[in-house]
Amino acid sequence: METGQRIECQWCRTQNQVGARTCVTCGAPLDVRNLVSDSGWREAPRLRDMTEFRFAQSVCQVEGEIVPVAEVSLGAQDWVYFEHHVMLWKDPQVPLSVMPLQGGARRMLAGMPFIVSVAQGQGRIAFSRDATGEVVVLPLQPGWELDVREHAFLLASHSVAYSFVRVKGLRNILFGGQGMYMDRFVANQEQGLLLLHGYGNVFERYLQPGESVVLEPGAFLYKDSSVQMDVQTQQLRTGLLGGTGINLVRMTGPGRLGIQSMYVHHKSE
Amino acid sequence: MSTYTCRWCGLSCDPDNQASCPHCGAPVDVREEVSDSGWEELPPIKDMARLQCGQSSCQVEGAYVPVADFNLAQGDGVYFAHHQVLWMDPGVQISVMPMKGAWRRMFAGLPLIMVQAHGPGHIAFSRDAPGEMVAVPLQPGTALDVREHIFVVANHAVEYDWFQTNVWYTCRTGNDNNDTETTFPIGQFMDRFVARDRPGLLVLHAAGNAFVRTLAPGQRILIKPTALLYKDPSVQMRLHFEQPAFSSWRPFGRWGNSYICLELAGPGRVAVHSAYDPLELPGNIVQNSPATVSRW
Repeated sequence: METGQRIECQWCRTQNQVGARTCVTCGAPLDVRNLVSDSGWREAPRLRDMTEFRFAQSVCQVEGEIVPVAEVSLGAQDWVYFEHHVMLWKDPQVPLSVMPLQGGARRMLAGMPFIVSVAQGQGRIAFSRDATGEVVVLPLQPGWELDVREHAFLLASHSVAYSFVRVKGLRNILFGGQGMYMDRFVANQEQGLLLLHGYGNVFERYLQPGESVVLEPGAFLYKDSSVQMDVQTQQLRTGLLGGTGINLVRMTGPGRLGIQSMYVHHKSE
Repeated sequence: MSTYTCRWCGLSCDPDNQASCPHCGAPVDVREEVSDSGWEELPPIKDMARLQCGQSSCQVEGAYVPVADFNLAQGDGVYFAHHQVLWMDPGVQISVMPMKGAWRRMFAGLPLIMVQAHGPGHIAFSRDAPGEMVAVPLQPGTALDVREHIFVVANHAVEYDWFQTNVWYTCRTGNDNNDTETTFPIGQFMDRFVARDRPGLLVLHAAGNAFVRTLAPGQRILIKPTALLYKDPSVQMRLHFEQPAFSSWRPFGRWGNSYICLELAGPGRVAVHSAYDPLELPGNIVQNSPATVSRW
């Protein structure tokens, strides 16, 4: 969308210069129309191979299409953090360290990554996950809080605060498809960048206040912290054999909701 | 008004208003991709393509792991294996579809229950592997045999049945004669979908890419058993063993029945997908269903 002498990115709302083909903040193509299904799901922008975008003094380039790689050229004052097994390669001079985290024992017991690693600039480091999918680029504006399912997180910039929240309710923990905790990313003072890996294709929808959608638990990828989740069991009666139930997650707005179409996590879990 | 006959499903549509066939989703502006050996590559359904089935519609979304998003009209319904649902509107009603032979299905590893959903509302399906959605419109009086665990969803105009494949082999797995294991390389049962008196829509998931060819009467082809996607009921199938010739670097004589194929004999369509499961061969074969053998 052109506003005056600028083009607004339909994914992250950043204003870009006229003539730009991709958004400078999230890499979304600016010359491709949105793909929105009749049911209201918007496909995450399919990043062009070798697309570049910026955060702080760093540049991120997304390479490949089937299992994409996020390659970051870190500026001297910048750093990113990530789950340690998602690093694909790095320059020898890029120092790695461990991010101090609270609740290490709880994280370990809950199956979350016990160690979150930090890479400090200056130099290059690249990340990918182990299955077909899409890199989802989510620039976070100050004050935004995003909840992300376990093992979907690829990397975040230093200006994004990381914590984790316990999933509320025993039914949600047992049948919600994502364990006891979710990652929570918050941009406090300045804009930050969060990259996720969605398995398969990724779709996003904005739920109005009170609007609901019912999901396969493994399909959940991310949501605004304002979106409420609640597991519900659909009973299926089979007569002679009694019956069975399907556990589904009901998401209720307001807020953004992201899902992935390949809903079983493979080796990462 | 000109009409366009889809080269994939053979049905007519109006090309002026459609970027893809409303019956099967094949793009109308794509040229035929046929290998030198005669396999026709299934044209991937374009992102956001819409299919029409009765008063309902289906939109296929995504490219790597596509989603089949049904907009069910009042009174219309679909059925599916219950783990295929990706999301649905809260108002969509789901229930169990009555089926015969529950115990045999359970022992054969087939989904024990089939779930049906009724409109109005949206319900979407996907599988958990990269590949393609294959939409097969079934005309009245036609049927299709589909290998197990390929089926995603069908509308209520399509009847569901299943039959024994009679394709199996038994291997000795230990020193004792009783230590045997029977393998069904295409599954113990196959799904059969039939459109009786009205057109129906059947949606399958192919892992990787999908290819189809039509076998002439008596024409045979050998395929990896786990690569079979679907076939016309007129296509006959049986096991086939390939025994490579003696090799000097393997001084113990011939290989065992190392190469196991599925022989398909026309007439009729057969389709394969390019990403298949490995086939288990736990030991020497001691018994098998009717089979042909080639020794080289």
